[in-house]
Parts: sequence; structure tokens; C-alpha cells
Amino acid sequence: MSVGRLLQITLAVVGTLCLLAIATIVIAKNHRRRAGDKSRYLLSVYRNELLAIASDEDEEGEAKQVLFAVPVPIWERLRPSVIAFLSKVRGTAAEDLSDLLRSRGEIERATEMLTSRSGVVRARGAYLLGLVRDRNLAALLIPLLADRDADVRLVAARSLGVIGATQAADGILQALRTSRGRRGLPAWVAVDALLGMGVEIAPAIENGLTSDYAAVRNVCAQVAGHGTIFSAAPRLSILLATAKEGEVRVSAARALGRVGGANEAIALARYTNSSEGAELRRACAVALGELGRQESLDTLVALLGDDDRRLAQLAASSLIQFGEVGIAKLVAVAVDSSPSARAAQGALDLAKLRGQITTDAVDS
Amino acid sequence: MFWNDFLESFRQAISYGLEIIAIPVLIYFVITNTSLMLLIGVAAWGFSGEQRRKDFAGREQTMTSQLIQGVSIVVPSYNEEAVIVTSVQAMLSLEYPRHEVIVVDDGSTDGMFEKLLEAFDLVRVERELPSDIPTRGAIIDVHIPRNGRTRLVVVRKENTGKTDSVSVGINAAVEPLVVCVDADSILDPSALIVVTKPFADDPIRVVATGGVIRAENGCKVVAGRIVEVNLDKHWIVRIQAVEYLRAFLFGRAGWSGFGALILISGAFAVFRRDVLVEVGGLDPDSIGEDFEIVMRIHRFMIDNDRDYRVQFVAEPVSWTEVPVSTKVLRAQRKRWHRGLWETLWKYRGMLFNPRYGRVGLVALPYFWLFELIAPLVEIFGPVIIILGLLLEVTSANFVLMFMAVAYGYAILVTLFALAMEELTFHKYSRWSELGALLVASVLENVGYRQVTAWWRLEGWWASLRGKKQVWGTMTRQGFDD
Repeated sequence: MSVGRLLQITLAVVGTLCLLAIATIVIAKNHRRRAGDKSRYLLSVYRNELLAIASDEDEEGEAKQVLFAVPVPIWERLRPSVIAFLSKVRGTAAEDLSDLLRSRGEIERATEMLTSRSGVVRARGAYLLGLVRDRNLAALLIPLLADRDADVRLVAARSLGVIGATQAADGILQALRTSRGRRGLPAWVAVDALLGMGVEIAPAIENGLTSDYAAVRNVCAQVAGHGTIFSAAPRLSILLATAKEGEVRVSAARALGRVGGANEAIALARYTNSSEGAELRRACAVALGELGRQESLDTLVALLGDDDRRLAQLAASSLIQFGEVGIAKLVAVAVDSSPSARAAQGALDLAKLRGQITTDAVDS
Repeated sequence: MFWNDFLESFRQAISYGLEIIAIPVLIYFVITNTSLMLLIGVAAWGFSGEQRRKDFAGREQTMTSQLIQGVSIVVPSYNEEAVIVTSVQAMLSLEYPRHEVIVVDDGSTDGMFEKLLEAFDLVRVERELPSDIPTRGAIIDVHIPRNGRTRLVVVRKENTGKTDSVSVGINAAVEPLVVCVDADSILDPSALIVVTKPFADDPIRVVATGGVIRAENGCKVVAGRIVEVNLDKHWIVRIQAVEYLRAFLFGRAGWSGFGALILISGAFAVFRRDVLVEVGGLDPDSIGEDFEIVMRIHRFMIDNDRDYRVQFVAEPVSWTEVPVSTKVLRAQRKRWHRGLWETLWKYRGMLFNPRYGRVGLVALPYFWLFELIAPLVEIFGPVIIILGLLLEVTSANFVLMFMAVAYGYAILVTLFALAMEELTFHKYSRWSELGALLVASVLENVGYRQVTAWWRLEGWWASLRGKKQVWGTMTRQGFDD
């Protein structure tokens, strides 16, 4: 083929594709503008009704009646706004918006979406079912915790947490497992979901603390701490002492700061030893401050001079949490320019600024 | 007689040169543009998936979760008097459940610190900064707001440069994630939530993320927030807007989608603090410190057999002022190319090394061939081909063919990126702006591209000669109207 012929073909192809790209840009912009204008217009017509329901001011139910009756094409445009509001409101407003969705057949539609071949559609369905916070729908969502699509598993877990479906606790813990290339649920999503289920799931959490799977133990330790499940303290202590994974031990230490007692304080003090990892030592120092047991005071004072200066700062902050007795210890240390004194003085400065202590308290 | 002989010899030399390089140069441009097209395609595929998942992405849950990892925003600052207060106020009010702002004053000589002192009612505190990462500049003092609760820390130090200031900020950071932003950067309100989401979803493997940078020039800014996206009236800025879109948004998203992102911008990057400490922090001697640190993380993780990810997040964004003058633009491009060369050379051992997977076998060879060498080909390729035409050793058809492949195809790539932008983020809403972007995508290839290629060569040459690199200065206009 001659250069001239090749040139003609190249120019034709490049030129055509350039024109196609420009056409795509123009059509997309035009379409979006028109659709946007139409949605804005429709929303402006029904905005007052929607706002009245979302702000719980539709006492007579008039706004609800208006929205119940809007024609289908208009509802299609309104639906995203209703769903967006539903994710932001609670109480009667949420119930009213849920009723609206129910009356428009959205729950049936979402239920059908759960069996779609598309992961995005299944996730959308699961999301909507969670938003309406209906415990009866939990049974539909639990199987999705084992879905092949990671997004669907994640949305199902969140929805079950929002619903407060205690029967799903084991399923969520199971979904944490990574197997055959299927990534487990992110820990924070699982913890948030489990915390949404309340103390009723304490037995499942306690069992999870002895799981053979590290991610499950880690999540259960976090839930036990944030959910203040006091009965989990003995198992958390065992986890702190025996877990092989540093992350699990750190989570156990943090949890013990919230649910531990005298025995746990002794254990936590032991793990501030310099032979332990930095993260664990820091977590234990913070936990000791949260527990506020007098027998931990000397341990924390000793940490003020530690080579890990972040640990020293955390120990000083923990001493502030002890109140007068901790502050007295800090004042006693903050007398020279040693590393211990600097950490103590830093914590005292901050506490004064925060109004946690008065200048008099420091002076005396 | 002599002149004729010289001309004949010259013609023969050009003819010989053309025989050798004409087709390879043509192929080079085809591959460059095709690879960009592929990267944009990969990015667009990822964006469309993200857009479809946006409804149930869980931003509300992130905002209310007590378990999300905290973030320390490190703001290295030098003589940023004009923007610092607005910038810090905007950063403090970003949507995020737990974040602190650390301003590192790198020995400013203007009234920057005094502005901060007054605006935030700062008081000096006795606060030690850990030495987790080695730093050079001595710390002068540490200040926090008098209420003790606003999470702002201002560290004053001797002037030792931006990279060292970032390292000081990392040492001061108490949260597990560290975000590095420039003082003049404007972050979208939900920027932290989105740019840290990969860490929340995959906390063990994700070690760094980079956010997209867009041109702030021309936008309407109120109280440190972009309230109206506009395209600047200067063509030099418009062309950069197009360039950022293609290279920084779609290019990097494409590499991220391919699993081989080796460059994230220091103007908006998030790192796991423990990983930064493990790798020894930023290299204060590197001019391309953002590129260097990402390369070091890749090498460290792979050498230690750790499963990890470096990810790009396309939205929301950090807005930054791009150069309006050719002088500043020249300094910037010289610095970028110098940083590229020095980092690629430093990590040459990873090149074609199968141990480093896609990074060593695909991304690095690509950066050597199509980023580092590109300005050489961009300058000398057209020069030789046009000389060939003038000396009548090549045909006009071939020259036109070259123009079509090198520049026509490049325009097509940019138009493709603009189309993807319009289908996904569509930040520029006016028809006039769209028209200006279309014109800019053509103008970029007429002069701008060749001039910036020359500046890039200057930067490379300066490095090869061992010339000392200095950071250019950029005059800030301040944010508010």
C-alpha cells in the first residue's frame, strides 16, 4: 500500500473518530441538561410535600397523600430524592418515607432485584431494603452475605446492621472470611453492623472471640469493646495473652480498656513492657487510662520516660484521665527538662487549655 | 562549490537518518497515543462502575462510624500568608469523623505565622515530636489553639525545604493515615471520606492512595471552598486543564485500574503512617519526592513479600492553582522531568525485573520509554522529518502522515478523555467552556507541547550536568473574591 493511500485511510479514521468523540460530548451534555432540567422542574412541584414528610411536619398526612398519587413517570424522577432523604432521617419521617416507598411497590421491586444477575442491581435492592428498616426483610438479606459479589455482601451486612437483625450476627462473622479469592467483609463494616444489633448478640461475640479465624476474633474484640459487652472480658484477656496476630491483641487491649476490671489492668500493665510491639504498648497505655485503676499509676509514670515518645505522650494523657491523683503524679515529674518531664508538661499544658484542670491544681 | 557539497552531504545524512528513524518515530507516536487511549478506556470502565455504585457506597456510614481510621492532614507551608488561614479553616471543616490539621511552617519570612496565631488564637505548648522519620530542620516550637480542642497543630521549624517539612509533619501526626496537601490546595468537602475509603475497605493491603488534581484558576472560591467551577480565561491554563484531565485523571486512574500505579501527586496523597515510617519517610534530596516515595513503597512491599495496593481515587478532588506565566510553568516542567529522571534512574534495578510484577515489567518500561524519552522524540522527530521535507528527501505525504499520527491521534486521545469526563464527572457545565476545552485540546498540539517538551529536556539536562535544583516560587493570589 502506498504512503498516500495509507495517509488517506489514517486521516479518515482519525477524523471520523474525532467527530464521533465531539458528537458524544455534545449529545451527552445536551441529554444530561435536559434530563436535569426536567427533574428539577418536577422536584420543584413536589418539593414542599417531600420536605414536609422528611422534616416530620406532615401531621395531617396531606403531603403523603399527594406523593402517593403522583403518576408513575413523575415517581420515577422523584424516587432517587425519596431514597436520598430516607438515608438521612430517622423516626416518623423515616417511617413515612418507607410507607411511601412501600405504597409505590418499591419493596417488591427491591426484593425482585435481589435475584438479578447484576451485582450492582442486587446491591441496590439490598440497600433499599435496609433503608426501610423492616425486621421482616432480614431473612431476604441474610443469604446475600454469601453473595459472589463483594459489594453485595458489604451492602447486605450494612443493611442488616441498620435493621438490627440479631439473627444475622453469625452470618456477618462468617462473611469476614476470605476464601478462594473472595475477599472478606471489611472489619469496620462488620463492626458497625454488629454494633447496630445491640447486646442481644453478646453470646455470638463471645463465641467469636475463640474463633479459629483472626479477622473474626479481631472484629469480635472491637464489638465487645465498643458495645461494652462486659461478659467478654475474660476471653479478651486470653486473647491479649495468647493471640499470635498483633492486630488482634491491640483490639483486645483497647476493648479491655472499656470492659475490664482490676485483673485486666494488671494484664494491660504487663503488656506495656518494652519487649512488646509499639502498637500494643500504646493501646495498653490508653486502655489503662480508660480503666483508671490506681494500681496502674506507677506503670504509666514509668512510661513517661520511654524511648517511644508517642507512648510517653499517651501515658501522660492517660494520667490526666485519672483526675487529681494522676495530675499530681505528672506535676511531680514535670520539674526538670528530662524526657519524662517534657511529656508530663505537654499533657498538663493541654489539659489546662481544655479546662480539664485548673492552674491552681497544677500549682498546688 | 563548498556550499553545494555541504548541502549534498547534509541531505545524505538526513536521508540516512530518516531511513533509520522515520518509521520507528511514527510507530513510537502510534504506541504512545494508543497506550494513552487504553489507559483512558481502563479508567473510564472503572469510573462507570464507581458511578453506578455511588448510591450505596456508604458515605453516611463512614461519616458516623466511630471505627474509621483517623487522618492527619500535613500542610507544609512557606510564605503562604495570602492563603493559609482560609486554607486551614477549610481543612478543619472537611467532612470526616476524626481528623487533625498539622501546619508545618518551614521558616516563613512573611506574616504567615502571625496570621495563624491571630486567626486560631494559638498558644505555645510543650509538645515533643517523635523522631520516627529522620528530619533535618530544627524544631522551633509547637502551637495549638487556646481551646485545646480544635485539632490544629502548628509546628515552626528552620527552613529546610518542603520534603523535610512533610517529614516533620508525619512525625507530629498522631492518626494512622497521613494526607499530604499543599497549602494552596482546596479540597472538596467530602475529599477525605472518599480518598480514605480504600483504606477502610481494605485496611491491611491499601498503603497509599492519590486523589485527582484539577486546575483551580478561574473557579469561584468562597471561604476556601470551590462554589462554582469555571474555566480560566487564559489559554495556558485551559490547555493545562485539558492536560491534567488526560494525564492526571484518566492516565493515573488507568494505571491504578491496571494495578501498577507508580506516581501519585504530592499535592494530594494519603499514606499509611506506619508504612511511611517503615520505609524511612520522604527523601529530602529528591526533587520528585512524591514519585520517589511511591517507588520506594513498591520496592519495600515487594522485597518483603507483602500483599499491598496503591490506588488512585478519581473523585472528589483537590483543586490547585496551575501556573499562568510561562516562567513558572517552565520551572515546574523542568522540575517534574528532572524528578522523573532521577527517580527512574534510582530505581533502575526494578526495570524489567519480574520480581516486581506489573510495576517492573510494564509501568517502569512505559515511564522510561513514553514519559522520560518522550520529549526527545517530540523535539527531534518533527525537526528531522521537516528537514527531510525541505531537503526533498521525504515526501509531503509522509510528513502529513506523521502529523496525522503524532498530532491528529493525540487530539483524538484528548477528545476521548473529554468525552469520558463529560460522561462521568462533567465538572464544566457551560457550553462555552466545553468549546474552549475542545479548542484547547487542539492548541495543545500546536506549540505548547513542543515548548514544554523542550523545558522537560532542559530539566533532564540540568540533572545530568549535576546542576543544583531549586524549587521555583509561585505567587499566590489568595482565595476569596
